[in-house]
Amino acid sequence: MTQVFTRSGLFALRTQIILLAAAIAAGAAVVLGSRLYADKERRESADAGQRLQEARGRLDSARRERDLLAQSSDVFRALTERGLLHGEQRMDLVELVNLLRSRHQLAALDYDIAPQRPLQFAGGRYFASIDVLASRVKLRARALHEGDLLGFIDDLTRTPQGFYPVDKCVIRRVEAAADTIQPRVEAECTLEWVTLREKRGAARG
Amino acid sequence: MKHFIYLTNTRVVSLVSQRRHIVARREFAVSGAGAAAFEMYLANLKDVPTHLFTDLAEEDFRLDTIPHVGARDREAILARKLAQIFRNTPYRHALLQGREPEGRRDDRVFYTAITNPELLRPWLEMMEKMRVPLAGIYSAAVFSAVLLEELDLLFAHAMLVTFTPGDAMRQSYFRDREIKFSRLTPIDLEEGQSLGTMIAEETTRTWQYLDSLRNFGPDDRLEVCILVHPSERRLVEPELRDFAQLQYRVLDIEQVALKLGLKPTPLDSTAEEVMVHLFLLRRAENHFAAEEVRRHSILRGARMALGAAAGLVLAASIGWAGWNLAPALKATEAELRTAAQVNALDREQNEIIKSLPSFGVGGTTMRDAVAFYNTAIRGFPTLPEFLAPISEALRGHPSMRLTQIAWIATDDAKATPKLTRSQGKDAPPVRAVGKSSDPAGPAAQEDPPNPPFSGGRYQVALLEGSLRVNASDFRGATAEVERLAEDIARLTGFRADVVEGPLDVSPTKQLQGRLTERAPATMETRFVLRVVRQKEVAQ
Repeated sequence: MTQVFTRSGLFALRTQIILLAAAIAAGAAVVLGSRLYADKERRESADAGQRLQEARGRLDSARRERDLLAQSSDVFRALTERGLLHGEQRMDLVELVNLLRSRHQLAALDYDIAPQRPLQFAGGRYFASIDVLASRVKLRARALHEGDLLGFIDDLTRTPQGFYPVDKCVIRRVEAAADTIQPRVEAECTLEWVTLREKRGAARG
Repeated sequence: MKHFIYLTNTRVVSLVSQRRHIVARREFAVSGAGAAAFEMYLANLKDVPTHLFTDLAEEDFRLDTIPHVGARDREAILARKLAQIFRNTPYRHALLQGREPEGRRDDRVFYTAITNPELLRPWLEMMEKMRVPLAGIYSAAVFSAVLLEELDLLFAHAMLVTFTPGDAMRQSYFRDREIKFSRLTPIDLEEGQSLGTMIAEETTRTWQYLDSLRNFGPDDRLEVCILVHPSERRLVEPELRDFAQLQYRVLDIEQVALKLGLKPTPLDSTAEEVMVHLFLLRRAENHFAAEEVRRHSILRGARMALGAAAGLVLAASIGWAGWNLAPALKATEAELRTAAQVNALDREQNEIIKSLPSFGVGGTTMRDAVAFYNTAIRGFPTLPEFLAPISEALRGHPSMRLTQIAWIATDDAKATPKLTRSQGKDAPPVRAVGKSSDPAGPAAQEDPPNPPFSGGRYQVALLEGSLRVNASDFRGATAEVERLAEDIARLTGFRADVVEGPLDVSPTKQLQGRLTERAPATMETRFVLRVVRQKEVAQ
């Protein structure tokens, strides 16, 4: 082997030595490249599994939403027609009260609409996508007959525009001279004028 | 492919093997046109690994013993001894043959050399010029021991007789399978002498020589094994006469070839094909060639080793890469399947989304709005609905008249609305005074500025009324009020309690009465009922 490790021996073997060096370099490149590729594939495989899970989650959400909407779309349509999501139209309320007062022949009607506020719920209930707003309305009315007052209240709560749940009412008789046309009954009621507002950033379907 | 050159004093034989079989044979004269023809022939085989066998008369043999020392010292001793014994030739070799059984147990050494290097010089120069990869130079005599071993001719004293190209006969003596002596004799038959008688005479002469060197004991017998072609066997065998110290064994070269697997069998008695075939079966160490002579073979081997290493590195890296990538490729297939699944799921999701009714708001907004409506607004109680069944109950009590109703919708069953006491006409002559049991007492509902929105689970009302009865008929009035409470309590979902009766007769109260002569015939008593209606739970 001393013939190999001489200058002439190494010179005679230069092609093979270069080939071996190139093979080692190529082999290292192949090993490294395959390692990197395998790592990349492993990562992408893991990502693919996650993407699949996410896609399944999205589909399940869509299915749930579809089922929910199937159940609630009619209700929601009715709600939007009643202006639940249209904000407070105070002019409409003023006109509505005037209309109902005339219809039920109320002798007097005072009302007071408080500034709109976010409505608090008992138990701290919270809706993620909507803000529930309400304006507290106090009514004081006088009528000849309690039926007129009750009719007024009933019509107000059943109006096709808006929601006006009455939560407090006091009705009392008013002393009046016999044989006179004077109010004989008065009512003090309080109600919430409820509207909804979609929260900013709520998911749009 | 390998190239074997079998050199004798008069002939040079070229044998080419492929896959352990001799596939070509050419024979040349060692001088004149023969050498030139061989050179031309060699040019075609210059890149083939080459082995040179020598079967020359100028090969000398010596026996010796040297002290048993370490390997490096032994090599130095042997080199010095070889230089002393064969100082004129570089083609020399020392063969260790074990140790002496007695005494210092010295190492036994067999020296051999080609004493006339000029016999090899032209051939080696020819090969050097062509850069022929010469792997080694071998002594045919030394190597022939392998033949006896392969043929199981294992005798204490054996002599192998072979014939070489160029009409010469080699006799090699082996004691206990170790070569001790060899000589080459030209076959130059005299008048009337046959090959058989010549062999008999020469072998007898060699026995005598060996015996003179005290190689044999009184009872030893030399087994002479003669390798001949069948065509010459019948000429040789009749001339051989065994005696007590010498016995002949004629080996049919065709049968030997068949036993060794040499095909085709040799066409004559010369042993070069058998030797080369044996070499292909059991490669021997180089005997005579120095490293400088084998330079091209060593470099060729190094070239091949480097090439093999390069190929091995590439193959290993590719194999490793394949092993490493196999799961990755499987993962890629799985990933493609997953991508297809994701696409299918996304398509289905998109179709669902497209099919959804759009109200211009998000699905969650719609869900929350509907949930709010269902839980808070729908089913929220109303006052007319509360009063309607109570009115029905009051029909059965025509003497009663409601004067005031305080009503609230709440989630608190204990809540009580605020009620302002009314003053009636024709007050009863007896009444309780002092701290009254105010129905709108501690639990009475004030209206805070930002009250929480209740679900209206309960409706609580205070019903204030009056009852006209005969003067001082408090018992009748109380019974009537209690009946009204019972009638209301019978309504589904209702509960009614008398908060204030016509006359509070509890011992803790002060009671005042004012009876006059002109008292009215009837009196109007006051009462307060607390009515609670619980929302029906939807099934």
